[in-house]
Amino acid sequence: MATRVTAMAPTETRIPFWRNVKTLTVLAQIVFVLLIVAAIGVLVNNVTTALTRSNLPADFSFLTERAGIPIAETPLPYTPRDSYARAIFIGFLNTLKVAIVGVVLASLIGVLVGVMRLSANWLVRSIATVYVELLRNIPLAVQIVFWYAAILLPFPPRITNPVALPGGLLLSNIGLATPWVYPTYRFGAWAPWLVGALLLAVAAGIWRKRSLDRRDVVGRVWPYPLLAFVVIAGVGYAVASMDRSVPADMGFDFEAGRGRGVVYRQTDAGRQPVSYVPVRVSIESAQLTETSQNLVEGRDRVNSTVRFPLLRPHEAESYEMAFADPEAAEAAGYRLHFDSFPSVATIYVDRNGDGEFDRGEEVDPETGRGYNGVGVVLTVTGFERVIVSGRDGQVTTPLFKVPVDDEAEEEAEQAAPAARGRFSAFGQGATESTTTSELEAQTEVLGVGPLVVSGVNIPVSNYDGGARFTVNYLALLLALVIYTSAFIGEIVRGGIQAVSRGQTEAANALGLSSYQTFSLVVFPQALRIVLPPVISQYLNLTKNSSLATLAGYAELFVIASVVSNQTGAAIPIALLLVGSYLAISLAFSVVLNNVNARLALVER
Amino acid sequence: MYGMIEPRPAPVPTRGPLVWLRRNLFSSPFNAVLTVLTGVVAAFVIYNFALFVFVDASWGQVWANMKLFGVYRYPFDLLWRPLTIAAVMMGLLGVMSGASGRGSIVANAFFAFMGLVGVLSVLAILFWPSVRLLWPLVFVAGVLGYLLGRARPRLVRYLTWAWVVWLFGGLLLLYGFVPGSGLLRVVPSRDWGGFLLTLVLFTGIVPSFPIGIALALGRASKMPAIKYFCIGFIEVVRGAPLIMWLFIASLLLPLILDMDANSLPAIMRAYVAITLFSAAYMAENVRGGLQAVPRGQAEAARALGLSGWQTTYLIVLPQALRAVIPAIVGQAIGLFKDTSLVFIVGLVDFFKVADIVSVQPQSLLVTGGVKLEVFLFIAVIYFFFAYRMSVASRQLERELGVGVR
Repeated sequence: MATRVTAMAPTETRIPFWRNVKTLTVLAQIVFVLLIVAAIGVLVNNVTTALTRSNLPADFSFLTERAGIPIAETPLPYTPRDSYARAIFIGFLNTLKVAIVGVVLASLIGVLVGVMRLSANWLVRSIATVYVELLRNIPLAVQIVFWYAAILLPFPPRITNPVALPGGLLLSNIGLATPWVYPTYRFGAWAPWLVGALLLAVAAGIWRKRSLDRRDVVGRVWPYPLLAFVVIAGVGYAVASMDRSVPADMGFDFEAGRGRGVVYRQTDAGRQPVSYVPVRVSIESAQLTETSQNLVEGRDRVNSTVRFPLLRPHEAESYEMAFADPEAAEAAGYRLHFDSFPSVATIYVDRNGDGEFDRGEEVDPETGRGYNGVGVVLTVTGFERVIVSGRDGQVTTPLFKVPVDDEAEEEAEQAAPAARGRFSAFGQGATESTTTSELEAQTEVLGVGPLVVSGVNIPVSNYDGGARFTVNYLALLLALVIYTSAFIGEIVRGGIQAVSRGQTEAANALGLSSYQTFSLVVFPQALRIVLPPVISQYLNLTKNSSLATLAGYAELFVIASVVSNQTGAAIPIALLLVGSYLAISLAFSVVLNNVNARLALVER
Repeated sequence: MYGMIEPRPAPVPTRGPLVWLRRNLFSSPFNAVLTVLTGVVAAFVIYNFALFVFVDASWGQVWANMKLFGVYRYPFDLLWRPLTIAAVMMGLLGVMSGASGRGSIVANAFFAFMGLVGVLSVLAILFWPSVRLLWPLVFVAGVLGYLLGRARPRLVRYLTWAWVVWLFGGLLLLYGFVPGSGLLRVVPSRDWGGFLLTLVLFTGIVPSFPIGIALALGRASKMPAIKYFCIGFIEVVRGAPLIMWLFIASLLLPLILDMDANSLPAIMRAYVAITLFSAAYMAENVRGGLQAVPRGQAEAARALGLSGWQTTYLIVLPQALRAVIPAIVGQAIGLFKDTSLVFIVGLVDFFKVADIVSVQPQSLLVTGGVKLEVFLFIAVIYFFFAYRMSVASRQLERELGVGVR
């Protein structure tokens, strides 16, 4: 036996190195690495020669230069004078803004659609199926352009005639504006209470969890921290709001004739604008003048329409609308019909004589068009509006003019024909006569607590106050949410179906209602299956937000491509973009791994 | 003594429309309310949609620009080239479906495409003089292929090669290869566009297949250098959106290859970006398949004396790929939709044509524009193809028994 073993040994030990798997693997890797290094070397060499030839920036020093890119939607203060770095950062924040809201909404709609897909009701089931199949199979790019260019741009009325939604929301073709809560200059008094409430809430949660564990019973944890937080924060808010007096150094500088003013604080360094301070503006009597227009809104022609800035009926004692030239209007037979009192009216001629406005009467039968360019005057008495100053301390009102009294005007013309509205050689006289025609307004700075609700107004032709979402943002958000919700719905359906029937049957046998069965037995188990793919859908949504260029929304990729076109810094921008997206992906995969670890079944 | 037996109550009907209604729509008061509410909403939506499509919409601009939608600026007199490629494709599909018989996945897809080609043939005969004969020819090629496939099912084994020849020959024919000649003259790729370009870019999934398999095998490799290179490539590419890669490719490819920016056509840059992007996703799909093959398969193959390469190619890969075919079809649907992003590099694909048509002077004459019509039209076309693929994918899943345990 022993001799045999020794006889075989030499043939086994010596394997030539070119046939040894271990050496071969190492060699193959060395060759591979060398090839890669060589390839990268050649490419880098190409890039550097090309860059030096075309004199393009290859480092990040351009980031501190002045960007000069106007951005419509900025979560933080930004002007085109700021640097490229800040512009790109604003873009990154805009990406997060659409991604976070999108993820929340897509989850809600997705779960709803997923549950609808399994409904016992044929109609509900079919609608959900059509929704999923239709939206999953149409490119997102098409959907974004569809919502943006085909629906949201043309269809809602113009800013001059916005749709008033419940809750003070206004929707128009420049976007959606909603009342919003902002922290005021008094917020500092409340902040310590908030921090304390947060700490106490955490403490209450831990205490409750420990006490449950100690007694080894099942119970709800969340009411304890919530209650602690609400009580402490509420008491703090009450205490902080006790002093509502206006600081002595605070003032409001308002030019009624120009329709704008600024809330300021007098400091040693000069006047500092103060944001989010409510002020009351009262104007005894004033006028607005507009001329009628023929417009195209959506697919409709709107004829002979007169649009004043948005005024609400309760904001003034009286509104009176009249023609600028009453005799001519009488001669032509014009009448006024309010579409929405007192801001939108239609001029018509009562041809059928029933004393009311009927469709078609706003069109001139001779020309086939509306009555264009007819002057209309809106006289407002006792106007009063509470306005919250903006982030820059600005307050804007409609461009009211001094009411013109016809007789007084004629007298004035006769008395001093040359003095009106001009600088005479002496100067003095002209200034006096303009001050008499200056619009007078009473203003008052109102006291305020730590928070203030800012309502939405339309002083001239844009939203003012509240929080504003551009139509670009809405279109992108809508498309991303709807597209992703179809995928999430399908995942949710799969997850619910994957929970074995026995679970439902057992729950029913225990006497749980169908809602309890779903929310306590089926859904928690489905969640385990559903969450990982849903999180990768969240990542997809975030990455897909880079299609924002189709809706004109300035997010990371859009701003980066503009910067790249302006500076020619292709390589740094490419690195920056890849880095940002990898950071986002990494963040998502960290969350995913955490979720997977927490959801993993504990097996015995 | 003898009494009549009480008549039994009439049996409760278990079929019929009323029963169906009660079971599916009005099974409980809650369900009845739900049915009425959703029914009203659905009716409202459908009514308004129909009102728009059949009454309010002005489809004239869509109809007038069919050539742009189809091929963009590809010359009128050379339309026979893309249509010949389509004819060969329908012929090959016909052979495949004729051989595999009715009801198979290929046959179902083939009949759907034949339906589309049939509609287009009728439209061509009636309205489009430049392709009056060509579209019917495509239809005839499909029919002939089908008959041939039924008569000679064994032809199928040569089809893989036929498809490869079709792909490369087709691209060559599209480009043209005799400069200066009339019929085979070169058509520069900047004139390609519309749905033709969308399909050309979609073929980027073919080269992504071998690259993706190589990356997946590399990722599963025990050699750290290769493994981490592949992981790095796959994760970096998948971490950022395609639109960014297209943008970067259009900026950097000329620099990296040290070429004049104009000598590298945009279509090449987009093709490279699409192929590599698709390859990274393909690699992840294939990896899923590789992990699904039981270890015993590879071990048994080695025990039989197969070499490492033989084990991979003959035993592991065929099983792995079979398991992930549905996932790959899903990826193909995604890529088909994503080709719409090439507008970022200045290519005029189907999606971009819609944008161009919607801002033509004639379109702006229509009150309110024609954006809604134009984008509805391309949405329907994209949907037809993507939905067709997803139906095929579902049938595949059923036939392969994937996901059924």
